[in-house]
Amino acid sequence: MLVLLFKNFIRSKGTKIGLLFLLLIGIISLLIGRQFQEKQQNNITEAAVYQKEHIARNASFHKDEIGLLLYYIKFSLVNHTLPINSLAIGQRDVNPSIQSVTIRGLEAQKYDSELNNPSNLLSGNIDFSFVLLYLFPLLIIAFSYNIISEEKESGTWKITATQSSNTFLYILKLFYIRILSLIGLLTLLLLIAIFFLQIPVDKSFFIFYILSVLYILFWFSICFFIASLQKNSNFNAVILLTIWLFLIIILPAGINTYIINKYKVPEALELTLTQRNAYHEKWDIDKQKTLNKFYKHYPRFKDYKLPDSEFSWLWYYAMQQMGDDESAVQSKELESKLEQRNNASELIAQFIPTLHTQIQLNEIAKSDLRNQLLFIKETKQFHEKLRLHFYPKIFDNEPVNKQKWENFKVETFTDKSETSFAKAFLPLIIFNLLLIAFGWRNFKR
Amino acid sequence: MKLLHKEILIAKHLQKSVFKNSAIYSITFFIGVLLLFAAFSGWDNYKSQNETSEKYQHQSREDWLKNPDKNPHRMAHYGNFAFRKSTSLSVFEFGMEPFFGNAIFLEAHKQNTANFSEAGFSNSMLRFGEISIAMILQILLPLLIFFVGFNSVAYERENGTLKILLTQGITWKQLLFGKILGITSVVMLLFVPTIMVLVLIWLTLQNFTISADETIKLLLFIVFHFIYQMFFCIISVLVSASGKTSKKALVSLIGIWLIFTIILPRTTQAIGAYLYQAPSKIQFNSDIEKDILKQGDSHNPNDVHYKAIKDSLLTVYKVDSVEKLPFNYSGFIMTEGERISSNIYNKHLEELLKIYKKQNSFSKAISFINPYIAMKNLSMGLSNTDYDSYIDFQKQAEQYRYNMAQKMNGLQIKYISNKKPGPNDKPLTIDKKHWADIEEFHYEPKGVREVLKTEIIAVISLLLWIILLFVLIKIAAKNLKAI
Repeated sequence: MLVLLFKNFIRSKGTKIGLLFLLLIGIISLLIGRQFQEKQQNNITEAAVYQKEHIARNASFHKDEIGLLLYYIKFSLVNHTLPINSLAIGQRDVNPSIQSVTIRGLEAQKYDSELNNPSNLLSGNIDFSFVLLYLFPLLIIAFSYNIISEEKESGTWKITATQSSNTFLYILKLFYIRILSLIGLLTLLLLIAIFFLQIPVDKSFFIFYILSVLYILFWFSICFFIASLQKNSNFNAVILLTIWLFLIIILPAGINTYIINKYKVPEALELTLTQRNAYHEKWDIDKQKTLNKFYKHYPRFKDYKLPDSEFSWLWYYAMQQMGDDESAVQSKELESKLEQRNNASELIAQFIPTLHTQIQLNEIAKSDLRNQLLFIKETKQFHEKLRLHFYPKIFDNEPVNKQKWENFKVETFTDKSETSFAKAFLPLIIFNLLLIAFGWRNFKR
Repeated sequence: MKLLHKEILIAKHLQKSVFKNSAIYSITFFIGVLLLFAAFSGWDNYKSQNETSEKYQHQSREDWLKNPDKNPHRMAHYGNFAFRKSTSLSVFEFGMEPFFGNAIFLEAHKQNTANFSEAGFSNSMLRFGEISIAMILQILLPLLIFFVGFNSVAYERENGTLKILLTQGITWKQLLFGKILGITSVVMLLFVPTIMVLVLIWLTLQNFTISADETIKLLLFIVFHFIYQMFFCIISVLVSASGKTSKKALVSLIGIWLIFTIILPRTTQAIGAYLYQAPSKIQFNSDIEKDILKQGDSHNPNDVHYKAIKDSLLTVYKVDSVEKLPFNYSGFIMTEGERISSNIYNKHLEELLKIYKKQNSFSKAISFINPYIAMKNLSMGLSNTDYDSYIDFQKQAEQYRYNMAQKMNGLQIKYISNKKPGPNDKPLTIDKKHWADIEEFHYEPKGVREVLKTEIIAVISLLLWIILLFVLIKIAAKNLKAI
């Protein structure tokens, strides 16, 4: 019986076209993911070569003044891109994955954006997560909206109902073959991805896969519930598409608009102005005052006294330091605002399966806002480390050629945060169980 | 008059049957609420965006003027900011605004990126889109039209009433026009109030002092959105008339809607981005640096290019060292350096923008096939939230930056003594009154003429679509059968 049902399902022209279309666009999404991965890889290689050349060139020009040399040279920190990122590009196209900073004031550098074509950003990527989130549900709806209603409308339902001993079991079988074929397609795509994109089969991938399966089951649960209302095909199509529209466009967009308006970030602009003034005004005030503030921040440099000359690198970097120190309040505020934004959206997302899935997939792929915030934090530490390393050398005016410049390679930040099973799966499991339970009750009535 | 009479009768009949369905009330109510939410959040966003950007533009200007006597080159590094301001129509059409950087720091020697975009501060939720009035008009209303219209003819066919209608002497043309009229009238019940609210908000935002340019943009915005709604009314009736059953008509209409509004916009842009790869920032910057080094490095004392300048200056002024020149030598060199580096930067930028343009060309071309993209492009253009407006903003900012840097260099050449101060001398300064010579940055959004020029493809394609649909009605009226 099951085999017959399956043959009947797969023989239909619409089914074949639908599955083929999804397979094709799924493969396209993997191609796009691979291109993105290659671009990221190239950038990192490029950054390493560039940094080496850049430091060597500048070191040969400014042989006598290490203070002047460090005014120019940039050091890069890379936000490690996991292979699985190609499946869920997330915000990685908006945010730069490489931060290049000089040891001057950090606040003026850390929010520098990536070069981008805004049209690409607006339309969004066709990555695997798009195919999963947007297109799988559409096919699920197309396969299941008329699951009982069609037979009722064509008059075959009565025959089927009398011939099968348990109609409910029959309905389950109809769903079973559809679920199997779509999960089969998902598995096939992810298998191709493993080889094509060299994704390691580890815990993250496992969560990614289970999450995708649960998401597909979620849409089948919705279709099951709607089928249990036993309305006509037109009604089912309209209502299912409306649900899709709500979950995919209206609710996420509405919540996003709400969050953006609720947590506005004027701090960003305030921060840049404060940072600019804090540094520049030091040119016009008593040098010793600036230095005293600097000693307060770094007591270990107390022994470096202000030299007699009009200009000194000690004073210069103390001024730069003040740009950061005196805008620290705004910087903290901005940081906590962004964290609030992220927390609020994650909290709300738990109640909206589509949003939840997208955010979780991005979290696994390390392409969400949380990862970006961690990267910025890490940049700060990276920058501080460089400062502490070079400050004494500048203040002592150590010879440029005595430094081991070749040791300053591009560094990599790896986001170690892990996704928990419960957080990832629970919301979807609960939604699925609820929908199935209500649908089952409707059928049994 | 008699002819039109029949069509109105058909339209009224359709209206009645639509309002018999109670679902239409809840949908209308819901879209109404959504429209209010969109209007409110658009307004809120616009106000806060412009207030913040004005506040800090103003504050940055005051800070600039407050600077004491200084060396002008210090001021060139103190720099200015370009904060982006939105136009009033962007309340209704956000366009690419969330992806635009809102502030560019403008200083000597260096073209900084436009930073602090909304997208950079958001998690992936933003990528689902935003609720704006334009989004409701362009995406949701067409779907509503399809939900209302899929039954219009197909139901009559299924019921057998179609035959009765046609035997009663009503022609296919009258029937189609009547149905279109009926659906249009239903949609207008949502469209007209929306436009009224929109105009009211628009007027309030500008305190009822409106410019001709903005008014024309608003009128075009309204007219083209009206035409756009008409397409969907016509398409829904045509599909409903040619489908055998209402289910078939519904499924095809949903398919058309999905392809127009969800699948095509993303795919065409993705094809463009896939085929024409743009360089990343690190590559872009290192290419520029390499080219500048080829031209001459003003920081390198032995550089050929700058040595040649030095030698020729020494010969012309018949002196043996740069310190004896009658003007500030380093100011002169920096002017040259700024000229060279911004030329090179602009050349690379042009190349980058060419790539972006190629990426966008697919979407632009596809607007002939897809009225949604045509409408979207046009409405983004009119509200100055499209790609070209953003590039325009960046170019205006860069122009301002260049002028500022060169003006400061000019001041240095003119007023700063050519003799380098000793290690313990006070630094050379000029009077702070000169700071006011630099005017405040002011972003001038593109006028309606410019917008129509860049979005000409969209305008033409929308007009072609009207013609095409009327031709289709004619063809359909001839060939359609009652069974």
